[in-house]
Amino acid sequence: MALIIDIIISGLISGSVYALLAIGFSLIFGVARIVNFAHTAFYMVAAYCIYVVTQKMGFHPMWGMVAAIVLVTLLGIISYKVLINPIREHEGAVLIATIALAMIFQEVMSLIFTGTYLSVPSLVKGYFTILGVKVFFQQLLTFFAALLVMAVLWVLLMRTKLGLAIRSTAQDREVANLMGINEARVAMMTMGLSVGLAAFTGAIVVPLTILQPHMWMHPLIMMMAVVVLGGLGSLKGSFLGAYILGFAEALVVFLAPMGAYLKGSVALSVMIVVLLIRPEGLFGVYFEEER
Amino acid sequence: MEKLGKGIFIFAMVILFAASSAFGQEVIKIGVIGPMQFVQGIGHWNGATMAAEEINAKGGIQVGNKKMKIALVKADSNEFINVTDATNAMERLITRDKVDFIVGGFRSEAVLAMQDIAMENKKIFIGVGASLTELCNRVAKNYNTYKYWFRGSPFHDMYLVQTSFIHLGTVGAILKGALNIPKIKVAIVGEKAMWTEGMIKAAEANIPKMGMEVVGIWQPSDKATDVTAELSAIQRSEAHVIFTIFSASVGITFARQAGELKIPAMQVGINVEAQKDGFWQATQKMGNYVMTMNTYARGVEYNELTKPFVDTYIKRFGEVPAYTADTYTAIIYTLAPAIEKVGTIDSDKVVAFMENDVHKAPSGVLAYLKDAEGRPLHEVRWGPGYLTSLGVQWQDGELKGVWPNKWKATPEAPEITYSGMVPVKIPPWMVEKYKK
Amino acid sequence: MDLILFYLKKLFTVLKNEVLVLPSRVVVVLFFIFLLLLPVFTKDSYLLRIFTLTSIFAILAASWDLLSGFTGQMNFGHALFFGVGAYGAALLNLHGHIPPWGTIPLGALGAVLAGLIIGIPCLRLRGTYLALTTLAFPIILIGIIYAFPNFTGGELGISGVARLARSRVANYYIAVVVMLGLCTIMWKITDSNTGIIFHAIREDELAVRAAGINTTRYKLLAFCLSGFFAGVSGGLYAHFMRIAGPSTLEVSMSFQVVIWAIFGGIVTIYGPVGAVFILFPLLEFLRFWQDYRTLMFACVILVILLYMPDGLFRWLRDKIEKECPRCKIRNIAMRNTCRVCTAPLD
Repeated sequence: MALIIDIIISGLISGSVYALLAIGFSLIFGVARIVNFAHTAFYMVAAYCIYVVTQKMGFHPMWGMVAAIVLVTLLGIISYKVLINPIREHEGAVLIATIALAMIFQEVMSLIFTGTYLSVPSLVKGYFTILGVKVFFQQLLTFFAALLVMAVLWVLLMRTKLGLAIRSTAQDREVANLMGINEARVAMMTMGLSVGLAAFTGAIVVPLTILQPHMWMHPLIMMMAVVVLGGLGSLKGSFLGAYILGFAEALVVFLAPMGAYLKGSVALSVMIVVLLIRPEGLFGVYFEEER
Repeated sequence: MEKLGKGIFIFAMVILFAASSAFGQEVIKIGVIGPMQFVQGIGHWNGATMAAEEINAKGGIQVGNKKMKIALVKADSNEFINVTDATNAMERLITRDKVDFIVGGFRSEAVLAMQDIAMENKKIFIGVGASLTELCNRVAKNYNTYKYWFRGSPFHDMYLVQTSFIHLGTVGAILKGALNIPKIKVAIVGEKAMWTEGMIKAAEANIPKMGMEVVGIWQPSDKATDVTAELSAIQRSEAHVIFTIFSASVGITFARQAGELKIPAMQVGINVEAQKDGFWQATQKMGNYVMTMNTYARGVEYNELTKPFVDTYIKRFGEVPAYTADTYTAIIYTLAPAIEKVGTIDSDKVVAFMENDVHKAPSGVLAYLKDAEGRPLHEVRWGPGYLTSLGVQWQDGELKGVWPNKWKATPEAPEITYSGMVPVKIPPWMVEKYKK
Repeated sequence: MDLILFYLKKLFTVLKNEVLVLPSRVVVVLFFIFLLLLPVFTKDSYLLRIFTLTSIFAILAASWDLLSGFTGQMNFGHALFFGVGAYGAALLNLHGHIPPWGTIPLGALGAVLAGLIIGIPCLRLRGTYLALTTLAFPIILIGIIYAFPNFTGGELGISGVARLARSRVANYYIAVVVMLGLCTIMWKITDSNTGIIFHAIREDELAVRAAGINTTRYKLLAFCLSGFFAGVSGGLYAHFMRIAGPSTLEVSMSFQVVIWAIFGGIVTIYGPVGAVFILFPLLEFLRFWQDYRTLMFACVILVILLYMPDGLFRWLRDKIEKECPRCKIRNIAMRNTCRVCTAPLD
């Protein structure tokens, strides 16, 4: 019994982490068709920013969060304008431009902070016990943050003008342009939103993990698996896919403790199996006109 | 495009000429190869720099009838990221920079490849960081090719296992005595890696023989960022001791989360990250009472050479030397005396001398082993009077030496206590739980 | 005697009329000559090592282009073929005691099998789905490798693999000759009927299906061919480095291949080959600035991408050559009229 509760709670928490990351990634892909490999690299920059604010300057982690979000969003918008927008038409070039950007962030962080492992204090310290399982408050915060972000995004997308613009650009860029929506500006704002989300994720998730210049690679793979599983361009799909993979990992860790290192591989296999059955992912939109 | 290739070629030739003319014949070049962007490589370089400066301040090494100074060449192997890079760096060190000796290396997978290159070129390579037994087994199996390899530090995997079992036994005895626990339960947690496989099996077999019970084995990924799942399971198994086998970042995560969740068990074993000064901050001060093996600690002396080395290192670099800083020992206490005794830097002659040379170092006494058939392994010897390393524990922000403290290797052996030892502390939340 | 003179004359004519007319062909010939004659000018083993490794990776990059450039199936897990080829060759060599000229083709066949295994599920996937799914396969393989450490050596990999050849120069020649040969074969494939079909599949798969061609078969063929060449590259790597470890399967290796190929220009075979020959020595060259090496590397890539998003060699080729609007033959940019049909070239 305790095992099942362990699995549920563990699955919910890792699912929330992946959901936070995947939603941001899915947004920019849906709108601008950009596979932003640097998404988790922005998350890493935010994490280091929080480290500097809390450890080097001694402020409360809340300030760190604010500073990180502002800084990283700015960084994201600038990178987009300078590096990605000029070559947007060439898909292949955009792909490796984002990879190169991620590498640059990694190297700059490595130069400033070296490769030593660092950590960041939690926003909320301590833990509590639920049904016999110990859970950190920070982890609970992660779970609620994921729900909050989904709710806020839903409101933004369904009820505001900007949201309408984003949705229509995601559906059909050319027609949106014809309808008078400044498609380039919408893309830029979505980029800002997506990167801001990455920074927010960094603030919430980073106290639970270790900072080092290569920390962006592993979440990138899991995040892409989640997005593919849920269906590219579908926020609902990313959300669900995140929890599915989170539970898959939790199952592996608890049922096969000697094989805990296989959790990534198992999650990825789950994704492949789902894709075999449904090639567009669970809720994916199959873009007919882009053959 | 191939014009660029030609350009590079010409540029490279120019550099080669410049390099070879910059250094005259009166220096011994020692290459220091390691992951220079990381703590381990920084340790390599710092130890070597200290050694070179000390030697050069005295005028250099006496080689035959002239004194030769030491010139260090830094090579970033980048071995954590890219093994190809490491081999390229080694090759460049030997053929471009034309070093005479090489010290360093850390990641076993990369050192296997780097060793091949150094051996092909007949350069003495003292390994300071990789503990894989295969590296020295190659010396025995193929002496003529691999004889130029020596282990500097640490001692090999199996000794690591042995020493950590001794620590485990010590902690078990302390817990039994202080908290009146009839049978100690041990949870084995080792990162998933080749070097832990053997250790985990050995632990599984040996722990019952020590009078304790194994309640579970967990193997998280070595870069795991969340081990609450494992910790919940460990708590449920009611383990009193957690035998840790960590070398990567999971060591920090585990200590931090175990401390935050106040798991009532003592961590002992190998936790490489816990050897570093930065561990305290990295675990957000939650890594208290974590025990691990280490080579050096503030205030602990093996012999009269230890304190000058450790204190000078701390004064200069602001932190306690890790075992990768034993490049200092490799240069000052192993290579330099050998060169002086033999009177030449010819590799074959130096090797012949080195393999029989027993000498003192800040970490103990270095002697090289032979295998069961009498073939030289160039492996350093473990044991009282030679190298034992230390057991250290984090106590309120400070890493203190706790073992050997009145330790006897065998019932007839003399009791060993290095100066600077303090008693082991038990976490208060554990005392609270078990003291009825 | 006369026969020899005849062939010499023929060689001359061919050279004059086919090769010297186009600067790109001259460059290719010079490239071949440079690579084949390099050891005559230098015995520096470090330099030879760099070029050997570059040749090995050039085969890998070109094989990626065959699959992802020509057939349009973006493969972000190319390291899988490389790793399977490397591990296959190493295992066969260590346990089966087969010499290198046997293990490398056999390892490559293993990579072909891997190609089939990942090609079949990927048939129904398109575009980004395909790219991100292929990313997963090498990672799953790494998990499997860690699960059987006694057989595969876990994270240490397999060491003690036999050498390709005794001397550094011999190694170099083997790598270079194999590279030039395989790349020429790949080039010929793209020029053949199969190659045209590959290219067509990239442009518009539905139209190709409508034309009655079994695209499934051709897509699988692309996976297998690409897998074979990449597997050869992996086998060469294993025998040259004498180890085969999980570093051959890492995500960063897959990314490297994609970077090389797109940097050089996809849908050409010479693009990725040239890119590897520029970027790999560049990375080594930047060693004098050890701390900033990767940073400089990434900056170079970004800057080049901003100005030449189609790839460096595509851009270069477009600058020095023009295509005739009437007969579609390429000419030197300096010409005013086409050399074949004399139409004005503007």
